[in-house]
Amino acid sequence: MLVTALLSGLVLGGTYALVAMGLTLQYGIARIMNLAYGEMIISAAFLAYVIYTGYGINPVLGLLITIPAGFAFGYVIYGVMMKPLVARARDKASLEIDSILATFGLLFVIQGVLLVTFGANFTSYNYLNVAVELFGTNVAANRLLALVLALTVGGALYLLLTRTLWGTALRAVAVSPASAPLVGIDVNKAARYAFAIGGGLAAAGGVVISMYQTFTATSGVVFTMKALIVVIMGGVGNVVGALSAGLILGVVETFVATYVDPGLTLAATYGIFLAVLLWRPSGLFGRRAG
Amino acid sequence: MLEVSDLSLHYGHHAALDHVRIRVGRGETVVILGANGAGKSSLLKAIAGIRAPDRGASIMFDGRSLTDLPAHQVLETGIALVPEGRGVFGDLTVEENLALGAYAMRARAHAAESRAFVYELFPKLRERSSQYVNTMSGGEQQMVAIGRALMSRPELLMLDEPSLGLAPVVVGELFRSLGRIRERGLALLIVEQNVRMSLSIADRGYLAEAGRITGEGTAESLMNDKAVQQAFLGGAA
Repeated sequence: MLVTALLSGLVLGGTYALVAMGLTLQYGIARIMNLAYGEMIISAAFLAYVIYTGYGINPVLGLLITIPAGFAFGYVIYGVMMKPLVARARDKASLEIDSILATFGLLFVIQGVLLVTFGANFTSYNYLNVAVELFGTNVAANRLLALVLALTVGGALYLLLTRTLWGTALRAVAVSPASAPLVGIDVNKAARYAFAIGGGLAAAGGVVISMYQTFTATSGVVFTMKALIVVIMGGVGNVVGALSAGLILGVVETFVATYVDPGLTLAATYGIFLAVLLWRPSGLFGRRAG
Repeated sequence: MLEVSDLSLHYGHHAALDHVRIRVGRGETVVILGANGAGKSSLLKAIAGIRAPDRGASIMFDGRSLTDLPAHQVLETGIALVPEGRGVFGDLTVEENLALGAYAMRARAHAAESRAFVYELFPKLRERSSQYVNTMSGGEQQMVAIGRALMSRPELLMLDEPSLGLAPVVVGELFRSLGRIRERGLALLIVEQNVRMSLSIADRGYLAEAGRITGEGTAESLMNDKAVQQAFLGGAA
């Protein structure tokens, strides 16, 4: 039972980590607190559903469509909605308030479109829903694949941010936005790309979720909340922090559900969140970028 | 090379700069002397594109107007600023800071060569290349800031109070390094409270007071000027 719980905890945690990495880029680099983030995740889940059930393209191959779509959506939304807010913002705090209000509106626009298109029913599809034996226990292949995808995308993002000059420039904007122009970084451009990459990660997260969970047009807010908790736990703008914190949260939730009481899962989540906010407000891992 | 005229800058109703006119020739080292609040930092920020000057200002660099360029584009023209408080990326390593120094298009192809010069100038940075900058001493962080600026291959290097908060022995080292940078043919524009040190490596200097340029002269004449001695050099060793 321990191995089973640990594995499903890691699957859930990998998903949390994946979606949180996108939010931490959007919040940490672009300074946009995107409340419509969960809706971007669910949109991608529906897109994966459509291209799998409608066109027979499996969700993993479909990532070649969904991730670029998420990136493009983020890029356009930043240009249309966020850029004017950034241009008129007097300081970081006023941009934060404006972006929270604007994305709060965007949340309902996207949700409305999804409701009209797909209805309010629970949606799911069958993909690789077969048992695989691992460490003496049975796991659904799609769950295992979800974990592998989350770790692969997370690893690729980590390499992009730490091993390339462009990624290092993004981290520089996260840690010292005022100094970035001194080395020739166009902060607005960096913010736009960070927001777009966040959109790509939200899409990847949505696809992974759709592979093993049921979802509805209104389940986005849960993912925004979970992602936000993971982002705060990992430290804003800290990708490795988000990856670790996501895995921890997934495992803790699953253990509480398995060994204590499933009804206490959310309580445990918010308990951790409050503890982090009170005692380690800059995150569990200290350093802000990396 | 750099020609600034009619440069005014207001923060609300407060005039930080009032019709400032300065010039820096190719390879020349120029120092701006003045008390706190004389507008020296604002001047460097306006040139670097960090603060937009009032309308009517003219900032020309090699015949090109910088007045409307944002900071990241000013850097591409060959002007680098080491700001007050250094502005290093404290959460990144020395090596990452230097790599980002060569982020500008003009600098990328020459990064290895520039890095070799920076490490030759500041051997300590080579030893500490994988250390996080915010764990280093003030003097070492200043080396990172100057090294990072040099990585962009500037023709004009501007430094805002580089000796601020450093121990006297470190200040001596710092100015020796600036002397070596000067020998490479770079022009330097330095705002500094350490008047004696900065005049010792400068060709010329300006006196700034309440946002205005109130005097100028060769480093030698300023060093011997009664008013300068009284205002800045009097009493102090």
